[in-house]
Amino acid sequence: MTQVNLLQLSKAYSSADTYAVHNLTLEIASGQITALLGPSGCGKTTTLKMIAGLLRPTQGDITFDGQSVLGIPAERRGAVMVFQNYLLFPYMSVGENVGFGLKMRGVDQQTIRRKVAEILDLVKLSGFEDRRPKQLSGGQQQRVALARALIVEPKVLLLDEPLSNLDAHLRDEMRELILNIQRQLRITTIFVTHDQEEAVVLADKIALMFDGELQQFDRPNAFYKRPISVRAARFFGGVNFVDGVKRGERVETPLGIFHVNRQEIPDGPVVITIRPENLKLGEEGENAIQGRIRSHVYLGTHARFKVEAGQWHLEVVAEASSVEQFHDGEILSLKFPRENIWLVPTEK
Amino acid sequence: MTLEQAATRDLAIPPSQIAETGWGWGQVARWLVVVGIIVGVLLPFIPLAVWSFSHRWYFPALIPTQWSMRAWHYVFSPGSQVPKALGYSTVIALVVTLLSILIGIPAGRAMGLHRFRGKTLVEFLILAPTIVPTIAVAMGIHVAFIKYGLADTLLGVILVHLIPVTPYMVMIMSSVFANYDPEYEEQARTLGANPVRTFIYVTFPAILPGIVVGGLFSFIISWSQYVLTLLIGGGRVITLPLLLFSFAGSGDNPITAALSIVFVAPAVIFLIVTSRYLTGENAAIGGFGKI
Amino acid sequence: MIALWRERLRIPLMLSPALAVILVLFMSGLVLGMMQSVGYLPIIGRYEVTLDAYRKIFSREDFYRSLSLTVWIGFASTVLSTILAIICAMTLRQTFRGKRWVTFIFQLNIPIPHIVGAIGILFLFSQSGFLARLAYVAHIINEPSDFPALIYDRYAIGIILEYLWKTTCFTGVIVLAVLQSIGEDYEDLARTLGASRWQSFRYVVLPLIMPGILSSSILVFAFTFGAFEIPYLLGQRYPSALPVLAFRNYTDVDLNARPDAMAMSVFIAVVITVLIFIYMKITRTYLRE
Repeated sequence: MTQVNLLQLSKAYSSADTYAVHNLTLEIASGQITALLGPSGCGKTTTLKMIAGLLRPTQGDITFDGQSVLGIPAERRGAVMVFQNYLLFPYMSVGENVGFGLKMRGVDQQTIRRKVAEILDLVKLSGFEDRRPKQLSGGQQQRVALARALIVEPKVLLLDEPLSNLDAHLRDEMRELILNIQRQLRITTIFVTHDQEEAVVLADKIALMFDGELQQFDRPNAFYKRPISVRAARFFGGVNFVDGVKRGERVETPLGIFHVNRQEIPDGPVVITIRPENLKLGEEGENAIQGRIRSHVYLGTHARFKVEAGQWHLEVVAEASSVEQFHDGEILSLKFPRENIWLVPTEK
Repeated sequence: MTLEQAATRDLAIPPSQIAETGWGWGQVARWLVVVGIIVGVLLPFIPLAVWSFSHRWYFPALIPTQWSMRAWHYVFSPGSQVPKALGYSTVIALVVTLLSILIGIPAGRAMGLHRFRGKTLVEFLILAPTIVPTIAVAMGIHVAFIKYGLADTLLGVILVHLIPVTPYMVMIMSSVFANYDPEYEEQARTLGANPVRTFIYVTFPAILPGIVVGGLFSFIISWSQYVLTLLIGGGRVITLPLLLFSFAGSGDNPITAALSIVFVAPAVIFLIVTSRYLTGENAAIGGFGKI
Repeated sequence: MIALWRERLRIPLMLSPALAVILVLFMSGLVLGMMQSVGYLPIIGRYEVTLDAYRKIFSREDFYRSLSLTVWIGFASTVLSTILAIICAMTLRQTFRGKRWVTFIFQLNIPIPHIVGAIGILFLFSQSGFLARLAYVAHIINEPSDFPALIYDRYAIGIILEYLWKTTCFTGVIVLAVLQSIGEDYEDLARTLGASRWQSFRYVVLPLIMPGILSSSILVFAFTFGAFEIPYLLGQRYPSALPVLAFRNYTDVDLNARPDAMAMSVFIAVVITVLIFIYMKITRTYLRE
C-alpha cells in the first residue's frame, strides 16, 4: 500500500531542449491500478522507468508515501518492473527465475524454494519450477515474469504493455489474473499501454499522455463521456466532431443551432462531439439535422452508418436490424440527444 | 533524434538516448577505460612513424637526434628490393582476391540460401582452415608442391594463399545471401530478364557491398601472409612481409618502420571503406574480424 | 530427367570451387603432414610406417619446454585479453560523448597485420625502446640493461603483449555485438528486482554473453597456440614456441629432423582440433539448457 506522487516530472533528451516527459504531475492512489496511456513515443515508458529508478529525471520529484525516492537506486526502491517481452533469463529454470530477486537479497535457499512454490501457486503455475523458459507458452512466460516481480513484495508494481503480446483469449485470462492478484495483494500498480481498450479493462484510473505531457487523468468512463480535447476523444474512438460557436447553452454551427446542457467551457469557438452509439438515426425533435447515408457496414450485433451532413462525415452505430430500415443514399434526420453532447475546445 | 524515430521502438526512447547527469565512480572508470583504449591501440603506431623519419636515435634520446628521409628514399628507390616485393605482394593479393570472389559467390549462395544434406559437415570443413594453424598445412603440402613444380613459384604461393582466404570469403558471402531474397531474381525473370542480365542487374548490385568487404578482407589476409609464402615461395617469391621480417631481424629500425607503414596501407584503406559499418552502433561486421 | 539432375547437382556445383580449395589444398596438406610424420611418403618412394618421430619428440626436452611455453602464451593471452575485452565492451556500450570515435579506434587494429603490431611492440618495449628511454629520463633506470627484458624474454611478455593488443579488440568487438543484441532491458529488470550493479553483471550480463566469450576465447587460444610469426619475431631462441620449433626442425639442414617437425605440427593441429571438439561439446550442453 504505497501512494506514488509524480511532481512536475520532466525528462530531457540528450540532444536538444526537447522533452521526453514534460511537467508531469500525477497523484497515484495507493492500492489502485493506474494506466499510463498514449501513442508510441509519448513518454509513458520513460515515466515508468523513472518511477523504477532506471532513469533519472531532469526535473521534478517522485515520492512514495510522501518520501522522495530520487536518491534511492533502482535495486532498493521497491518498484519492480515487468517488461513487455517478459525477459525471462534463458539460462535459468523457472524456479531460478522467480527466485532471482530473493537470491539478490541474500535470502537462504530453503526460504527461496518455499516462497517460489507459493508465488507460482498464486499465478497458477504450481510445479513448474524445473521447466526452462523456452518450454513455456507466451502466457505462461508472462505469468512467470509476474511471479518473479511479486516475490520481492514490491511497493509498486510496474507493468510495460502487460497484455499486448498475448492473443485474444489469453488476454482475458491474464486480465483476470492481474486483477485477482492485485485485489488480493493491493499493490499499487502502474502500467503502460498504447491500447485504450487494455487501459479501460484493467485500470482504476487512466493518465492519457501526448508528446510527453499529461492530457487527462480520470476514471475510464470519463474518456468516453467527457474527453478533454478532440485528440483525447479521437484516441478513445471518437469520430464525430462538428465545429461551432458556443453562446451559453446554444452552439451555432453550419448544420444549425444545437441546444446543450450547461458546460464549463467558456463561450466562443468549440467543437461538438458525440459518440457514434449516441446519435439517433431517423429520429426527429430537438437537435435533429438532415443527413444523407453514404455507406454502411453490417457487423452482426450492430451496424455502422456513414452519414454526410454539410461538410461533415458523421458515424452512427445503430442496432443490427436498422440495415433493413435505412438505405444508402437516403436522406433522413439525425438526432443529437442534448444530454450526450460534449463540448471540447477547437484544435489549434 | 526525432520523435518519429523514437516511435519506431515501442519503448518511448531507448534509455541510451536520454541524458544522464552527474559524475560518479562509474564515469571515472569509464574515462579510465576510454583513455586505456585510445593509448593502448594507438601507442604501437607512434614509434613506427617516428623511426621511419629518424637517422640517429640512440638511447636514451626521447626523440631522434638526427632526422632523415633515408628510409623513405630507400623504400621507394627502384634499386631496392622494396618495389619488387610490393609488386609481388600486390599481384598475389589481387589474384587471390579475385579467385576468392569467384569461389565465394557460389559457395556463399549455397550456404546462405539453401538447406541440404551434409551442410553442417561442409560448414565445418570450410571453417576448419581458420582454426588449424597454417604452418601445419604448409609443411604438409610442401612436398606435393615440390613434386608438381609448384614450390618456389608465384602460382604455388597464390594457390596456397587461397587456404586462409576461402573460409572468410565464404562466411561473408553466406551471411550476405542469408539476408538476400532470391525472389527479386524471380521477379526479374518474369519481367523478361535472362539469367545473365538477372545476375548483372539484380543479384550483383544486391551483393556488391558484401563482395567489397569480403574482397578487402581477402586482400588483407593474403597481403599479411608470412609463413605460407616463406615455405612455399622458398625464398624465390619475396613479398613485403618477408622483406619486413628480414629488416626487423637486421636491426635497421628506420627502414623496418617505413616498410611497416607501407605494409599497413591496405588495412587503412579497408578501414576507410568499412568505417561506415565499423563506427556505427552495428559492430556485427567486425565480428568477421580475423584474429 | 536432365532437369532433375541439374537440380540435384546445382548445390554440389556451387560448392565445388570452395570445397576444392579445402580438400585439395587444406585437407591434403594435413594428410600429407600426417603421412610424413609417420614416415610414409610414396611421392618420394618411402613406404614404411613408423612412429619413431613421435617417440623422438616426446622424449625431447626442448619439445616439452616449447610446449609449456606455448601453453603459457596461449593461456595468458586468452585469459587477459578476454577480461580486457569484457571491460572494454561494457564501457563502449554505454552512451558518452565521443563514443563513436573511441569505438572506431577500438576496432582500428583488427585489419592491421600482426607483424606490424609486433614491430610496434618491439620499438616500445625492448631494452632500448621507447619505454626504457622514458624510464631513463625519469631516473628509474641508468642503462638499457636495467630495464626488464620484455622482448626475447623467458616469460614471452612481448609476445603476449602483441597478442593482447590484437585479440582484445577481436574479442571485444564480438562481445560488444552480443551486448548490443541483448540490449539493456535484462539489466534494468534485474536492477528493479533488487540486483546491485555488480550482481546484475555477475548473474545476468555475464551468463548472457558467455557463449560469445567462450567461442571467441577458444578462437584466440587456437590462434595463439598455433601461430608462428610473432614468437618467431619477439621470442627468445630457446625455448621457442612450438610452431617455431617445428619450423626450425623443418628447415634444418639435417633432413632427419623433418619427420620431427611434421610430428610436432600434427601434434599442434590435433591439440587444437581436440580443443574445438571439447568447446563444441560445452556450448552444445550450454545451449541446450
